[in-house]
Amino acid sequence: MARGGGNRSRLLLVLLLVSSLFLITLDLRGVNLAGSIRSGVATAFSPLESIASKIFSPIGNFTSDLKNFNQSKKKIEQLTKEVDLLKSTQILDEDTVGQLSQLRNVLDLAGRGGYKVVAAKVINRGSSATFKQTITIDAGKNSGVGINMTVISDSGLVGVVKSVTSNSAIVLLMSDPTFKIGVRIAGTQSIGVVSGQGGSTYLLQLLDATGEIKKGDVLVARGSQDGKPFVPGVPVGTVTTVQSNASSITQNADVVGISNLERIGVVAVVTSPPKNDPRDSLIPRPRPTETIFVTPTPTPSPTK
Amino acid sequence: MSGLRVFYTSIFLFLLFMIQEVVIARVNFPFNGFSLYLAVLMIVLALEDRTGSLVFGFIGGLIMDLSTSIDTPFGQWALVLTIIGYLFSVNRETVGDFTESPFTFVLFVSAAVSLSLVTFLIIGVMLGQNNGGLLHNTGLIFINSLWTFLITPIFLPLIIRIRKLMLDNRERV
Repeated sequence: MARGGGNRSRLLLVLLLVSSLFLITLDLRGVNLAGSIRSGVATAFSPLESIASKIFSPIGNFTSDLKNFNQSKKKIEQLTKEVDLLKSTQILDEDTVGQLSQLRNVLDLAGRGGYKVVAAKVINRGSSATFKQTITIDAGKNSGVGINMTVISDSGLVGVVKSVTSNSAIVLLMSDPTFKIGVRIAGTQSIGVVSGQGGSTYLLQLLDATGEIKKGDVLVARGSQDGKPFVPGVPVGTVTTVQSNASSITQNADVVGISNLERIGVVAVVTSPPKNDPRDSLIPRPRPTETIFVTPTPTPSPTK
Repeated sequence: MSGLRVFYTSIFLFLLFMIQEVVIARVNFPFNGFSLYLAVLMIVLALEDRTGSLVFGFIGGLIMDLSTSIDTPFGQWALVLTIIGYLFSVNRETVGDFTESPFTFVLFVSAAVSLSLVTFLIIGVMLGQNNGGLLHNTGLIFINSLWTFLITPIFLPLIIRIRKLMLDNRERV
């Protein structure tokens, strides 16, 4: 009897393994089974994700706040003043204000670069068990979003659209280890490749053997043919450390991303590349320090 | 194992998958995320009988393959979790030793989650996927199991209770 049960288990195992391998083979042979099923699931989950996005966004941001506690401290002071101001006016809640500000900035960046964009809200993040760093946005085919379109935030590059459904799209973040983008050091002709490393830092490999990298150099996207997957001119990151290794053929450097991928709420998908390469015009310029000269006027001495 | 239980458990797993995709994935866990779905599936597999481990491993994998954030072939997670289900079923007595104490059970679930992620990566490599560097992935898997170890005790009693509800009278006896 036990042997019969064992045989049944073995038969079941073989059956299930064969079914799995059959599904994988179908997928790899180009039968669009997965695409249509996943697209259906994405369409079904899209409204739920939008609702969850509104409800759970404070919880979602809680842990990243803990992680960036030191940076947050300064921001908290600055934001407290702004929140007080908002509370006093009682016009808009802080979440809406934050998103509006991001939206304004992202549209401003797109306008300066001459990109035609579709704005979208981030409604979800990819599951941790997939080894892919992705976000889901609430704009899809119906809004003109397509595969391999560049996605930008208010400060620079976010990633590239990987798959699209009618009302949502999955964006592969630039922090994903498989992500690579051709870049140019702003102000020079030196080109290189920036690769994601799974965190907030990236690796720059300079292809130009004679080129020079300096700490603080800003990198911009070189752009691809027809603007897909990357439009030119989008700020990518800033060089933080130059790795000096005499034996290597290419020069490497550590780069910090321009966009904070953990806190993005609003993005824009570039649906049409600019007519002319914006070159370095999108690089964030440091604000000039305002110097105020105060000339004390002599106070008239009281006359007795 | 009754057909009704397969149905109920599948619905339960799908609901959990929905919670994972819609809610848990939104939480920015430091360093890396936590997969509620995988943790619960490992608990279910550990509590099932030989056939149950295999069947729910496969069904759980198929549900996981529905994830919109992955671009791996449909069926890869089904294959991985069927293998894990098989490992559970052939080591039923050993698994039983672990489930007796809550602490060892949680430890076991964390290890099982890591094992399934490693298997997923290995099969991915065999299928020619690029999932990043070894060190990076080792870190991700380690942190994921650490989160599993820390968070699983919170919902473990609930999952055990729900699973008991899904058993029919004959199976409960």
